[in-house]
Formats: sequence, C-alpha cells, structure tokens
Amino acid sequence: MRQRTRTVIGTLAVLGALGALAGGATVAFGLYNVSARAGHLPPVYWALHTTFRQSVDLRADHPETPPPDLNDPALVELGARHFETACAMCHAVPGEDRSATVARMNPEPPHVEQAVGDWTPEELHWIVYEGVKMSGMPAWPSARPDDVWAVVAYLRAIQSGAVPAERQAELVARADLDGPEGAAWCAGCHASVAAHVPRLDIFEADYIEAALMAYREGRRESGIMSQAASELSPEALRELAVWFAEGGAAPERVSAADHDPELLARGEDLAKAGSDDVPACTACHGPGPRDLEGFGGEELEGHFPPLAGQDEAYLITQLRLWRDGVRGGSEAHDLMRVAAQDLTEAEIEALAAWYAGLDPATGAAARAGQANAPNPMRPAKDGGH
Amino acid sequence: MTASLRAETTGPRPRAPRRAAARLWPLAALALLAGCEGRQSVLVPAGEDSRVLGDLFWVMLVGAVLLWIGMNGLFYWATRRSPAAHSQYLANWLVILGGILFPTVTLGALLVYGLSIMPDLRATGDGPVIRVTGEQWWWRVEYERADGSTVTTANEIRLPAGVRSTFLLDSKEVIHSFWVPSLGGKMDMFPGRVTEMTLGPERPGVYRGQCAEFCGESHAWMAFEAEVMEPAAFEAWLEAEAAEARPPEGALAERGRALFFAQGCGGCHAVRGTPAVGQVGPDLTHVGSRHSLAAGRLGTSVEDFAKWVANPGAWKPGAEMPAYAHLTDDQLGAIATYLEGLE
Repeated sequence: MRQRTRTVIGTLAVLGALGALAGGATVAFGLYNVSARAGHLPPVYWALHTTFRQSVDLRADHPETPPPDLNDPALVELGARHFETACAMCHAVPGEDRSATVARMNPEPPHVEQAVGDWTPEELHWIVYEGVKMSGMPAWPSARPDDVWAVVAYLRAIQSGAVPAERQAELVARADLDGPEGAAWCAGCHASVAAHVPRLDIFEADYIEAALMAYREGRRESGIMSQAASELSPEALRELAVWFAEGGAAPERVSAADHDPELLARGEDLAKAGSDDVPACTACHGPGPRDLEGFGGEELEGHFPPLAGQDEAYLITQLRLWRDGVRGGSEAHDLMRVAAQDLTEAEIEALAAWYAGLDPATGAAARAGQANAPNPMRPAKDGGH
Repeated sequence: MTASLRAETTGPRPRAPRRAAARLWPLAALALLAGCEGRQSVLVPAGEDSRVLGDLFWVMLVGAVLLWIGMNGLFYWATRRSPAAHSQYLANWLVILGGILFPTVTLGALLVYGLSIMPDLRATGDGPVIRVTGEQWWWRVEYERADGSTVTTANEIRLPAGVRSTFLLDSKEVIHSFWVPSLGGKMDMFPGRVTEMTLGPERPGVYRGQCAEFCGESHAWMAFEAEVMEPAAFEAWLEAEAAEARPPEGALAERGRALFFAQGCGGCHAVRGTPAVGQVGPDLTHVGSRHSLAAGRLGTSVEDFAKWVANPGAWKPGAEMPAYAHLTDDQLGAIATYLEGLE
C-alpha cells in the first residue's frame, strides 16, 4: 500500500517536472509563434472570446456610479467627440471604415457598429472603464468612472440606430475658428456641447493652464480631459489657455434652465453666507466680496475660478468630486476639498442652480425672459474683475 | 510625569541612593501639587461653586483619612495587642456598632452633606447668559445681551465677578465637556441637546478651562481662557466686543487684509464690519485681543498667527482648517499682522 502510494506520487512528480520543462523550453526558445498574421487556432479564439464575454457578464452589474440620463443629447455629443479623439483610431465611426492596419490587429478591433452589439449600458461602461486584457483595448485613463457615461450614451445612440453617417458628422462638427493649434477641437466640446462641459471664457488663463497641466500630469481626474491634455505640448496648452480666457470661443450654449425660485434662494443664501459646515462660496468664487474696493487683492488670481454663469451640470459633477475627495487641481486644491466635504446633495443642486443662472459679467441673476434664449456671442469679460 | 522628572533631577545623592529616593517621595508629591498653582485647580477656588466643591473634597478627604486610621487601628489592636479570642459579647457588639451602626451613621451624614450642597450648585443665574457650543476642537461663544442681540466670539469666556452667569451648552458633532476647575464643576455638551449650568465667580483673574470629555484627535488641545473681571470692566469689554472690527493700521496690515480676502478666509471666518461672514470657523472680529489662539494652543503674537495659518494641523492634529502652505512667509506675515491688529 505504502509502496503503491510512493509510486503514484513519484510518477506525478516526474510528469509535472517534464511539463514544466516543456513549458519553460517553449518560452525560453521562442517555440510559440506570436505572429498576428498566423492568428489563433479556432478553439483558442473561441475560448478567449467566451472568457471575455463571461467575465464582463459576471462583473458589470454594479457600476460604481449610477448612470445619468443616457438620452441627454449633450451627453451623447460629448461622448461622440471624445470617441472621435480616443477610440475611433481603432473602432472607426459610423459611416467610416477602420484603417487597413487596424484591421490586421489580432484580435481585430470590431467596427463601432458591431462593437456596441447588444451589451447593456452597465456592460458597456465596464468594458470602456476597465478595458480588456491582451486584446489591445486599454483601460479608461483615469480613476474616475463617472465620465465614462458620456461614451456609453454615444454607444447607446449607435446601438439604437440613431447615428447614421450624417448624424455622426453633425455630432463632431467643428466651427471654423481663428485660434491657435487645437482651438477648434477644444471648442468642439467647450463651446458647442450644451451641458456637462465648463465654459472657459469666464476663467483666468492661469487657471485654465493649471487645470490642463493637472490633467496632463494625473493630478486631476477625467478620462476625457487627460486624453485631450496629453495630445498637445505644454506650450500649446498655454496658448490655448490664453486664447480661451480671452473669450476666443464664447459658448453657444443656452442660458440657465428655469428653476424653482425657492431652490435659487437657498443656493444664493448658502453661497453668500455659508453655514456652520459650509464656507461662503462667494468669498473665493465671487461674485461679490473678493472684488470689493479695498478688500480684494491681485495676489491669488488664477487659483480660484469665478463661477457666475458656469454650466450647471458641470458644477454639480465637480462639487460631488470635491465632496468625495476625488478632485485634485492646483496647489491650493486642498482648500476646496475641505470646503466641500460636508456638502449635501440638495446643497450641491441649489448652489449649482444659483451660480449657473448668474450673468458672468455683472454677477446679477440673469433676467427671467432670457431663459432658453441662445446666449449671444459675449465680448470677452467686459465688466468683470 | 513632572513629579518623577523632578525627583530624578533634584534627588539622587551618591551615598545612599535608594534611601534618598525614598525620602524624596513626599517632595515628588509636592511637586505634583505645584501643578495646581491656581489657574486650573479645584483646590484654589475662585468662585462660589469651586469653593463648595473644594469644601466637599476636603470633608471627604479628612473623613476618609480618619476612617482609614480607625480601621487600621482596629486591625492593629485585633492582631497585635489582643490576638486571643474575644468574648462572644464583645464580638457581637463590635459587629453591631462597628459593622452596622457606624457605617450607616457616617455614610448617612456624608450623604446629607453632599445632597445639601447640590442646590448651591444649581442656583439660577442673575448675570449674563452665554451660549457655548463645542466644535472640533474649539469653543463657539455667544453672549446674549439684554436688547436681544448676541455678541459672537470664540475660545474665551469673560465673566463679571460677584454674579452668577448662565451657560447654555451645546455641541456640534460629538460630546464635549465644559470645565473651568477654578470656577466650578463640569457639564457635558451634547450634540442637539442644550444643557444648562451656572457659575458664580468671585475672584478676578485669568483661569484655564479644558474640554473634559475625550472628543477626538486634538481633545487635549481644546482649552480656553476664562477671565473673571470687575463688573464695570466686563461691561466695557462686552461693549467693545460687540463693536465692529477696526480697520488695519499700516501698509503691512492693509496688505494682510487684502490677502485675507483674496485667500477667501472670509468664507469660513467672520470679521464683523467687513464682507467676511463665514460661520464655519471662529469669529475673528477681535481675535487680536484674546488671550490665546486656536483654543489655548498658541499665544496671540504675530508669529503665532503666522505659524498657525501656515499649517494648523501641525499644532492641532485633525484641525479642519486647511494649511496655507502655498503662501510665502511674506504673505503669512502680512495676514498675521492684520489678524493681530484686530483688537
């Protein structure tokens, strides 16, 4: 009995050693052919693809952030514009073909119209955020899962057949702008997309530049913006910052949405006076005290962005990121992290609604009749600062 | 700790170190008592309440010492002086008198005494009403004035001598305890529930208060100064405290004010008479005239203000105020000069 056990164990050990040796030799002597041209054997391809589908299926049910309204046209447009920058190089866009080289990748990246398949929004979110190992599909270049939803909204629109070639062209159209390198491309989101994206004409150039460098160097999270900021040199970013701060591309967006006056009053009250948990926003972000004669100073311009007239959805997103400790930025960003840590969801909504409804030039509430009227091209910062 | 340190440094003589150390024990105890030099001591009362509590302490201490001596005397007598078996008669009476009657009478008397002083400690106030809110880790202080207005300050209590002031105690996040040992007993501060206590200070002077309930990282740094003043001086102080902040004097202080607003300090701090209306942190309207900065942590020199603003967490771990490490020494000095001038 004992003798037999010993024989079994001995045989297994020898077989194991031979197997390890064979495997080691395959790696060490380059016996496995990694040629993309040769490809996988069909059973290997089947195993890999099934593993991928099952893996997504197992993990995609509970996204870290709940989906916003995926039918929001602004979100679809934002997703389309980012897709064109970061994804189309492999997956192409509706109405266009993949390049010949991309088609010879192995595994071959599917054309976006096939890629969307019948995945659910949660599954699409998982795939775009996590990427797929050993397939060439990269992970989202930021630790922030919420801005992936814009891409998902766009992919959903493709899934539902709402993005034929003409619509695709509209979605990513660029204005003919007389600006530095990349200006028209940046303005594609910052001046054309009607929500979720900050308008830049109200910021100082130093602030925009600091934000771009923070995105570029990974100190501020956003898959969309870190992609954009990594496409240009720091010098080009500086030029763009100056051009946008001077009002180079005034937003075409509509002015603030109509809101319950009570909500606006709560926002105004909190912004101007603060509470025992929340500092008064206006102390740093205006309008008001900071600009008063004799009280204000030039010493920190660029650190604190003015917020009057900023996009409401953008403000809500950023305040949540601040509150949750995700948002980074310039050297003074710790001030805002502490300031926002006790904000409630209701307070965030009230503050964003109030700030979004202000006229950036005067700091006064925009007139009621103005709501939903297109914002005229505003001359750069005439009454500000 | 100071006691043992002192014993080590003043004590050992080469000849008989062990004995010398033994002889130094009473000295060490005295050194410990020296810590109670009066700014924060129940044993050096400066008010009605602390006097009553001090008396209670001494009565209890003397009683306990007498009982201890009596008990040990009995042990000594029973084991050494008269070790033989006692008669049944003596043993019975020893149990009845010493075991039942004596403790009942003694404890009863102490209880009656103890209960009799409670009304003194709960007497209603006839002086100012002061609302104190415990924050992490500082004190929000509001004086309610006769005309219905309130005067907000922080980290310092001033009281008129000779009247009983009323304290309405509250807390923001966690339980704190309000205690000025020289003036009276302590009272817990609960979030969402106002507790009330009164204090009747008698002897003018500056005393120290301390949070007496563990409340987080910087609990030990949560102190304040309590100044007892002559009534007229108190009225004058309250009048001055109610006034708006004075404008900065000199170019440096003016630059400090500009920086104070450019840096958004007014988002959290109020300086009455300026656009700074924040309510998160202490009111700074007259911060320059306080005895201490950051709830007893630092003094109020320009240097103290500068090093606090540069990095509050270094002085008070966990403090909510963020570090202004991005400011240059120059800028910090200007802000500190402005704040120090807010008298």
